[in-house]
Amino acid sequence: MADNKIYWSGLEELDRTPEYERIASQEFPAERPVDEFLSDDRLQRANTGRRDFLKFMGFSVTAATLAACETPVVKSIPYTNKPEEITPGVANYYASTYYDGHDFVNVLVKTREGRPIFIKNNTETGLGRVNARVNASVLGLYDSARLQAPHLNGAATSWGALDAAVSKGLNGNGRKVLLTGTVMSPSTKRAIAALSEATGVEHVQCDAVSYSAVSEAMEMDYGRRVFPSYRFDQAEAVVSLNADFLGTWGDNVWYTGEWAKTRRPESGDMSTLHAFESGMSLTGSNADRRTRVKPSEQGRVAAAMLRELTGEGAAVQLDEAVMSSVKAAVADLKRAGSKGLVVAGDNDLATQRIASAINRSLGALGTTMVVNAEPGLNQGDDKAFAQLVTDMQAGRVSALIVDGINPAYHAAGAAAFKSGLEKVGFSISTAMYADETASRCTAMAPAHHWLEGWNDLQIDPKRIDIAQPAIQPLYNTRHSAESLMAWAGQPVDGYTLLRQTHNAAYNAEAMYTDQDWNTGVHNGFLAVNVPEDVAPVFTGADLSSALREVAGRKGGSFELDLYRKVAIGDGQQAANPMLQETPDPITKTTWDNYVTMARADMEAMGLNTYIAQEDPASLVKVTAGGQSVELPAFPQPGQTPGTVSIALGYGRGGDGEAIGRSAYQVDGSGEHMTDADGNLVPIGVNAFSLATLKNGTPDFSVYDVTVEATGGTYPLACTQIHHTYMGRDSVVKETSFDGFLAEAGAKRGEASWNKTIGLNVHDDVNGDGEINALDKKAVGEFDLWHEHAVDGIGHRWGMAIDLTSCIGCSACVTACHIENNVPVVGKDEVRRHRDMHWMRIDRFYASDWDMERGEEEGLGVISTYGKMEEPGANPQTVHMPMMCQHCNHAPCETVCPVAATTHSNEGVNQMTYNRCIGTRYCANNCPFKVRRFNWFHYPGYDKFQNVNPAQDAIQRMVLNPDVVVRSRGVMEKCSLCVQRTQSAKLEAKKAGAPLEDGSVQTACAEACPTNAITFGDLNDNASEVRATYDNNRTYHALEEVGIQPNVAYLTKVRNTSKS
Amino acid sequence: MQQEAAIREPLILGNKNYKDITDDVVGPIQGKAPMGWKIMITITSIIAFYGVGCILYLIGTGIGVWGLNKTVGWAWDITNFVWWVGIGHAGTLISAVLLLFRQKWRMAINRSAEAMTIFAVIMAAVFPGIHMGRIWVSYWVLPLPNQFGSLWVNFNSPLLWDVFAISTYFSVSLVFWYIGLIPDFATIRDRMTKPLQKKIYGILSFGWSGRAKHWTRFEEVSLVLAGIATPLVFSVHSIVSMDFATAVIPGWHTTIFPPYFVSGAVFSGFAMVQTLLLIMRKTMKLESYIHTKHVEYMNIVIIVTGSIVGVAYLTELFISWYSGVEYESYAFINRFSGPYSASYWVMMTCNVISPQLFWFKKIRRSLVATFILSIVVNIGMWFERYVIIVTSLHRDFDPSSWGEFHATSIDVGVFIGTLGIFFTLFLLFARFFPVLALNELKSILKSSGDEQKRIQPDGKSNH
Repeated sequence: MADNKIYWSGLEELDRTPEYERIASQEFPAERPVDEFLSDDRLQRANTGRRDFLKFMGFSVTAATLAACETPVVKSIPYTNKPEEITPGVANYYASTYYDGHDFVNVLVKTREGRPIFIKNNTETGLGRVNARVNASVLGLYDSARLQAPHLNGAATSWGALDAAVSKGLNGNGRKVLLTGTVMSPSTKRAIAALSEATGVEHVQCDAVSYSAVSEAMEMDYGRRVFPSYRFDQAEAVVSLNADFLGTWGDNVWYTGEWAKTRRPESGDMSTLHAFESGMSLTGSNADRRTRVKPSEQGRVAAAMLRELTGEGAAVQLDEAVMSSVKAAVADLKRAGSKGLVVAGDNDLATQRIASAINRSLGALGTTMVVNAEPGLNQGDDKAFAQLVTDMQAGRVSALIVDGINPAYHAAGAAAFKSGLEKVGFSISTAMYADETASRCTAMAPAHHWLEGWNDLQIDPKRIDIAQPAIQPLYNTRHSAESLMAWAGQPVDGYTLLRQTHNAAYNAEAMYTDQDWNTGVHNGFLAVNVPEDVAPVFTGADLSSALREVAGRKGGSFELDLYRKVAIGDGQQAANPMLQETPDPITKTTWDNYVTMARADMEAMGLNTYIAQEDPASLVKVTAGGQSVELPAFPQPGQTPGTVSIALGYGRGGDGEAIGRSAYQVDGSGEHMTDADGNLVPIGVNAFSLATLKNGTPDFSVYDVTVEATGGTYPLACTQIHHTYMGRDSVVKETSFDGFLAEAGAKRGEASWNKTIGLNVHDDVNGDGEINALDKKAVGEFDLWHEHAVDGIGHRWGMAIDLTSCIGCSACVTACHIENNVPVVGKDEVRRHRDMHWMRIDRFYASDWDMERGEEEGLGVISTYGKMEEPGANPQTVHMPMMCQHCNHAPCETVCPVAATTHSNEGVNQMTYNRCIGTRYCANNCPFKVRRFNWFHYPGYDKFQNVNPAQDAIQRMVLNPDVVVRSRGVMEKCSLCVQRTQSAKLEAKKAGAPLEDGSVQTACAEACPTNAITFGDLNDNASEVRATYDNNRTYHALEEVGIQPNVAYLTKVRNTSKS
Repeated sequence: MQQEAAIREPLILGNKNYKDITDDVVGPIQGKAPMGWKIMITITSIIAFYGVGCILYLIGTGIGVWGLNKTVGWAWDITNFVWWVGIGHAGTLISAVLLLFRQKWRMAINRSAEAMTIFAVIMAAVFPGIHMGRIWVSYWVLPLPNQFGSLWVNFNSPLLWDVFAISTYFSVSLVFWYIGLIPDFATIRDRMTKPLQKKIYGILSFGWSGRAKHWTRFEEVSLVLAGIATPLVFSVHSIVSMDFATAVIPGWHTTIFPPYFVSGAVFSGFAMVQTLLLIMRKTMKLESYIHTKHVEYMNIVIIVTGSIVGVAYLTELFISWYSGVEYESYAFINRFSGPYSASYWVMMTCNVISPQLFWFKKIRRSLVATFILSIVVNIGMWFERYVIIVTSLHRDFDPSSWGEFHATSIDVGVFIGTLGIFFTLFLLFARFFPVLALNELKSILKSSGDEQKRIQPDGKSNH
């Protein structure tokens, strides 16, 4: 039924009136006389009627009501006047210098919107290399446990009141002493001079870990009480006598890179490294030949070396195995001549004197070892400190100022120091925290964090390194030199003090006009013109007493070596959760110190030698000189039988001091544990008290200790519980330097030590007329997928990691941790194998067994595999950085049901967090197990309240705003620092130029002090990383799985041939 | 009417007539719940609630409450998933495949077996859901039109195939089961006296009137659904096995998995049917309908599938050696000699050795032995999945990441909880649903009933 209804909008339309027709025919309606209406003056005279009034009122009330409805308030404060140099979203870098009494590094501080968030090396100053302690130190800035105001007698006060009290305190009659670590700052030295002039204060320097024996040996030999500069880049043969120069000893940050320069096999020459040590140190793990000796034998090893080299002294008693290593080391030293170097780590005068004699006889002075006229690092004078403690205990000290060190914790005689401190009339500490020393002082004058204030530092007479503030002081603190000036009665602000040190004529008008200064601040250092140093003259005395002393040394049933761990060092950053969670490069254990022991010794004592999630370590009691500590025992391959090693730097804040929430143990629910006194339980145990005091100098090698099992157990959290690589040489490839040289000209994939893996095919590919086991095709030729062209199209980010250069120092681990907001998860989670590190360093020990040996000895396959799980007694070690390999044929990508992990067109395997539903299939299917799952809500769940920086209102300011903080239930992993590549691309685009090789670096590559990691664009034929892909040492890990990674490794070359 | 040899063992024992069958099946539904049922459902619901509590805690806190870690990303969750899916295989196999093969003995067991299938698949479906880190976005695995820039699912992922396979299997099984229930619901409806119950069963029976046309359609639909369901029996577990088979992990990356998983699934499914029915026939007095003959037939299926599984285990071992692949061969050596070797040997004993006992007729026909062995088989099958998942993952390619898995109380709680939910559902089924396909049984009463067979030797036929 058709319906002819007509719809009309008005009667006019229905009737089709002429008026309607006229209007409808016009496309544009006639203009309304608005002006006419508005200008009608009758309007002005109109009265508002009752109804209008009600309408207005109704409208107003409604409007007011609507306006009163609350909308979400986002507190973002815009810049009223935008600072010229800060653009939100763009990072600023400031050159600065890090010095903590030990490490001395030129750095660049990355700030975002005024917040320092990352520390990287300043590559342009010549002193820029970072280690884990340096780049993680940015976290300490935001620690809410820092002292937030000056304190007097335990109560917060004002600086004025404090200064008045100090002035009064310095008026006493007894000795007045300023106790500091090694002062490297000319301005601080000036302030000290001013203070001592005004008040008669004496200056005593004391280092947390003493090197006084080294300086004393130099003084005896050359009349200069200095810690020498070692030039590892010049060395062709290095012998380390328990000196962990790659990890913690001396100016290690600097040595690592210098040493690595001599370890490039492509250059045709490699230096050799011999290590003689009791525990396995980072240096020992990288040594070409490592020999196990006891602490009491170190001196004899040095003496034997001297005798082999020069014939000086009598023959000493040493094991045959040790003796043959000594001979091998001496052979290398002789070959190197003046390019040889012996470094001794024991703080023992006799050993140091012999080591000095060896270096002198090699002619190393001036080449690999420079004895400067000016003292550099480690100026501590233990004798002066011992005298101070004696005086304190005798009540002869009326005032004590402690600056930069914490002797109540780390002094060998800490108990004596503490009791002496009670007898000091007036004591004051400038520590940032109410630490072991500060909390016992009358007053606390908290200093800035190093990122908050100006400073000048001098390690080299030719230059002044400058530290500049990267943020306004967060709390009411004051630079310690400023405090000293105030107490000297010459109050001056830190900046002026600094400027006046370097330009006596400085005044405020010159603040911005001194171009030299401004350039210096920009660059991070000022060059200083000084006359060339005069070579030191040997004035040494007779060595015979030293040789006699070492020859007669005897050890007890057990000997102890006190060492420092790479992440925790001397313990000043014990409250830094990232450092606590950084696995020790050797033991791969986090959040604890322990007693490392030889497996045989542990088995003899019936201790547990397998430590894992549910297999806790056995507790042992180690007693030395009447002091004892109870710690878990850790089986350490390479540990000399009859020796134990304990790390220093633990057990901070055990007497109720507040040094930061992450310095204490937490229980399963994340709450702090408390001891019987209600104090928080520190992590680990302080082992400084075990050191032997020789003439006031602590020696960290103790020749006679007892070790007994207590029967208790203690869980340890290790990130790696399997220690060998089970003969899987497609994971780790290594060769000797001889082997490398023999095939140095081989093409990639052809050398016997790096052969491309072939898979058998049923086809006569080798053309011998037969189809048999010899018919193999390279694994790269197999392909399941349609090939997407990646070569030559756009960017293709790639990485190459040189296993020869990597020493395992873990600077990359912390750099990645901070750059990518990787959550800290605490000990309990690490114990459950849930560490979140995107970048980890796998440490493999060699086993004495392989399949061939098993076959020879008639062992079955199963038993041989069992044997291969055990590291050798003194194994070779490989450090292998491992992160997402960004496989071009990634197994993770195909299995994700929601396509949350995909391949970018720049070759990066990318993780889309907000698409991830958390099936973990990708992690299961990853051959490298580099994917990390957010098991909990780390930024909010109570279990992590005391470990995760994101759970502290202030500490979360360290988070990188360019990287999202992941939510619970999603997978995460290395992104090849995609935020950095994106920003570099943007910069290049803005500049209108192609992206330059090296203009973008991942956090790990940037942090690596040995340049083991090369990052760049594989499609850029001129790039460094592209060049490494043609290197014959280059391989892809697990190549035969067919995953085609974008990360490559370079075969490890050990220089085992010359020795 | 079909004839059956008199010497064949009857399928329905006792002097049963049509009314007896109806009384035996509908009687318990009409009567009061027995004390034993009340006690049992109390226990199972407490366990079920505990399980639900564990699941809520898991969802509220994070997957970390389980014992998983960076190396072992799946353990009890997917083990339980595969185990339950496997159990869910018997029902459809019995009702669909045996229907196509005209196996009349299935009629006594198919209803409960199908119910078991449905509940097992529900339990199985719990795990892929709760094992996700973010269950609240689990619907993203469905290829739904969306506003995320229209983000599609990844059709390469076996997990996605799982979603399709399980949901298809569940829907077809459910429909198949329900179709079969309709005439029986109608019978119950007709016997109910209380109006509410009558109403409910009336709704459930979809207005079934028993007309010849209804029966014709019923038969046709059953056949069609059996045809659809039969390939699903084989596809579901094949696809589940591809979660592993398509991965690169040594021990997972195996082409043998689909047939091996399917036979394992049938194996464990029949074992679970045995466990349930042996209890049910006793407590619900169904000894006349489910008796030694049924048990024996099912035991024969268990021998066959168990032997296939055994051959698959040995084949895997052989291939791991024969392939010459270092990782593959280590994975299997580690299975039987590594830290989790105990699980492997439990699996071998329970799955390979124990079913072989059924070669002895005495054991095969012993209800007690069958009951014990059926439980042993399911323990073995749980360990099989555990071995495949955990021992393969905990030591794969890179020894630096080799780790351990230790279950937590929540791992255990969730698993026990699903057992509780499963048995609670099954008890509810036994109380309110016709546990035997009574109308189908009536169709064989005349051909395979005890009474009918007994009078035949006299030369007189009963019909």
